[in-house]
Amino acid sequence: MIRFDQVTKRYASGHEAVHDLSFELAAGEMAFITGHSGAGKSTMLKLIGLIERPTRGHVTVNGQNLHGLRRGRIPELRRGIGMVFQDHRLLMDRSVYDNVALPLIIAGQSREEIARRVRAALDKVGLLERERAEPVTLSTGEQQRVGIARAIVAKPSVLIADEPTGNLDPQLSAEIMQLFADFQQVGTTVLVASHDLPLVKRMGKRVLVLNQGRLLDDWRPGGG
Amino acid sequence: MFAKKPTGNRLKVQASPPRAAERATPRTRLGFSSWRDQHLYSLFSSLGRLLAKPWATALTALVMGLALALPLLFLILLDNARGLSGGWQDAREITVFLKPDAPVDAARQLAEALRKRSDVAAVKQITPEQGLEEFRQMSGFADALAVLQFNPLPQVLVVTPQELRGSDDPAVLAELRQQPSVDLVQYDAAWRRRLGAILGLSQRSVLVLAGLLAMATLLVVGNTVRMDIQSRAEEIAVMQLIGASPGFVRRPFLYTGIWYGLFSGAFALIVVFGVQWALSHPVNQLLESYDHRFALRGLEPLAALAVPVLSAVLGWLGAMLATARHLAEAHPD
Ligand SMILES: Nc1ncnc2c1ncn2[C@@H]1O[C@H](COP(=O)(O)OP(=O)(O)OP(=O)(O)O)[C@@H](O)[C@H]1O
Ligand SMILES: [Mg+2]
Repeated sequence: MIRFDQVTKRYASGHEAVHDLSFELAAGEMAFITGHSGAGKSTMLKLIGLIERPTRGHVTVNGQNLHGLRRGRIPELRRGIGMVFQDHRLLMDRSVYDNVALPLIIAGQSREEIARRVRAALDKVGLLERERAEPVTLSTGEQQRVGIARAIVAKPSVLIADEPTGNLDPQLSAEIMQLFADFQQVGTTVLVASHDLPLVKRMGKRVLVLNQGRLLDDWRPGGG
Repeated sequence: MFAKKPTGNRLKVQASPPRAAERATPRTRLGFSSWRDQHLYSLFSSLGRLLAKPWATALTALVMGLALALPLLFLILLDNARGLSGGWQDAREITVFLKPDAPVDAARQLAEALRKRSDVAAVKQITPEQGLEEFRQMSGFADALAVLQFNPLPQVLVVTPQELRGSDDPAVLAELRQQPSVDLVQYDAAWRRRLGAILGLSQRSVLVLAGLLAMATLLVVGNTVRMDIQSRAEEIAVMQLIGASPGFVRRPFLYTGIWYGLFSGAFALIVVFGVQWALSHPVNQLLESYDHRFALRGLEPLAALAVPVLSAVLGWLGAMLATARHLAEAHPD
């Protein structure tokens, strides 16, 4: 579950990336965020993982108001959120397997459990046979999928993805989006920022449209 | 148009349901085996990272190792100097030579009087005859003594005072010097004490030096780890983004420090044993002049074992200082 209450984010440069934003995503709900480049999509997602703190307003994740969250509790919050970053953020000197295993190692899973889950996650993004590869030897789209595998491997209750299909061909994009939808099916709260309007439409999920940091539209399937 | 099911077979898109127990439970109590796994992971990933750049690692370990070897060598040197002088230091006897014309009874009476004193542990009387006999037994003197018409030796008393606490001369010494029947009082404790003081000072100096060099190794590790942290800023940021605790992020760097410590400790031992080996021949030649009463004392096994342990602690401490300072810098907000 994710809730924004009149959230404004002004960067140190003075630029207001998000302005007076309010919405609620129920637990197990899935939504897309679209909007022009610079609309504030990434900023919104960063506020959820406390990568940025709001200038005004409150962000609540899984019933926890992030406003009062002490710095020491941030790792705990992030372990409960699977994040796919716009720029992948992989560890370039580690194998694909080690990259995907990292959240599980951090969470202190057993080696057998890690092996099982990492292979399952890599299988889901179609990279099982590349587990020994170094990320630099992968295409941008493949790197993106490694980032997705890393986000889902620990089965987080909240999944946020920033342009997860930015470098994928249409078919692969559709399959990745379906993967996210499948996670929603089993109770995960999913929030995906995407430019790919046709694909977003086809998914038939809720769509938040951002414009210059403001919520322009909140479209719900079936509704209006 | 809404795609109902994915058609592609490149991906297996069925998310297995995350069972409630399997969900990332944020506050995980780590069991022993996963705790051990995490540490083994950090231990070996930091080792792999060090071995991936063997020259830089070796150079750092060499600098640290030399800084550790230096005070060790001084300590060994000092230990041997102490051993050499130890035999003399214990001696605290006062040798009293009576005037040649003093009667035999005078010596005996003086000995009696001295034995009654509480600050005297023992008195040994050596008559001129006994003295002459001692000389005879020493090689080379027998012939010389044979030509003597009479016994030139005086009455001698060897007085052993009670153990002294301070550095003052025993009171009995001054009194002996005033005895009319006494010709000469020989007491060598003063220069022995001076030697003891010099050794004590040297030991203190070596300890201070060791402290300074330990600090230098601390700085070397700290600086190496600092550079390591800077070159891995991106990796640290990623770890923090996916929920690594500060302890988890710090751990590989601490292990890096421990590895540096172990490597440098091993190197310091190699240097020390190498120097011991190189010096053993000339030193043994020197010691032969002491009739083998002394042997070169090298680094004892227990101390040798303590060296890498100590250096590992130093490495860990240096890494601790570096991470405390620079990981905080790397952390946003
Ligand atoms: N760290 C920052 N400091 C200052 N301004 C920033 C910072 N990050 C983003 N901005 C600004 O905030 C605005 C929103 O940025 P954001 O990254 O959220 O946009 P976005 O919707 O994700 O765009 P895109 O689709 O191109 O990824 C932009 O105008 C950007 O220049
Ligand atoms: Mg963005």
